[in-house]
Amino acid sequence: MTASLADLPKGHEFAETRFKLTPEWVAEYVGAVEDEAIGALPGRTYPPLALAACSVRVLLEQAGLPEGAIHVGQELNFSLGSEIGAELVARTRIASRGDRQGWTLMGIDLNVATDSGEEIMSGRATITFPISGEAGG
Amino acid sequence: MSHRTEQVQTYEENDLLSAVTKTITQQKISRYADASGDHNRLHLDPAFASTTQFGGTIAHGMLILAYVSEMMTAFFDEAWLTDGRLKVRFRGAARPGDIVTASGRVVRVEGGKTTCEVECRNQAGDLLISGEAGVAIR
Repeated sequence: MTASLADLPKGHEFAETRFKLTPEWVAEYVGAVEDEAIGALPGRTYPPLALAACSVRVLLEQAGLPEGAIHVGQELNFSLGSEIGAELVARTRIASRGDRQGWTLMGIDLNVATDSGEEIMSGRATITFPISGEAGG
Repeated sequence: MSHRTEQVQTYEENDLLSAVTKTITQQKISRYADASGDHNRLHLDPAFASTTQFGGTIAHGMLILAYVSEMMTAFFDEAWLTDGRLKVRFRGAARPGDIVTASGRVVRVEGGKTTCEVECRNQAGDLLISGEAGVAIR
């Protein structure tokens, strides 16, 4: 059983994780979001939010979302250059955390770089969840 | 009105992005949950979700945000992928049966950067997502 984000303090850094956007997973993602524009571009590319979704997926393998968690904000910067299938490195940390009126507001910084260290995505997801929340799903 | 030349496309303030409209279904939410690994019961379990403030299941915010990304890709082509940025707030929930429309407008063109106001609304006009997205045109 994974830990819950609810149990982690500000400043917590998750283990650096290596992953690949496989063609199969990208196809699954593009199908799920019904992106009809990405296929019109040349080359074996993928939607930027696929990278964000995959890095969140990696995060969720290390810490479960608290029950009732709600995504309230998202910032992303990306400069995709990597091909589908390239090995990528995700670094994630809890950048902010505060409690107010029975809810916790948490900012999670997400960074993804290529194997050679070139950053291709950075951003912050902001979530909120009830203070009594336990690890969900 | 945007202008496409052989090499460079330029944009002007008040250019409208072509809207993207999707119908939300529970099947689509479940499919996104499988792809993203986010199996929060709020998205998948109607019995549980009915006990929450939402009264039923809701779509993942990142699923709805993907419609903004599709709109940006269609308008800016590779520039959205190679040097894009966005900053949004999730302001409302999309539910199964909702028809969600992503729309946008160019609000600033300066310093090689083009910035758009973007938003998503449901069929009732309720605001689901608002914020900015932009690209750098090299």
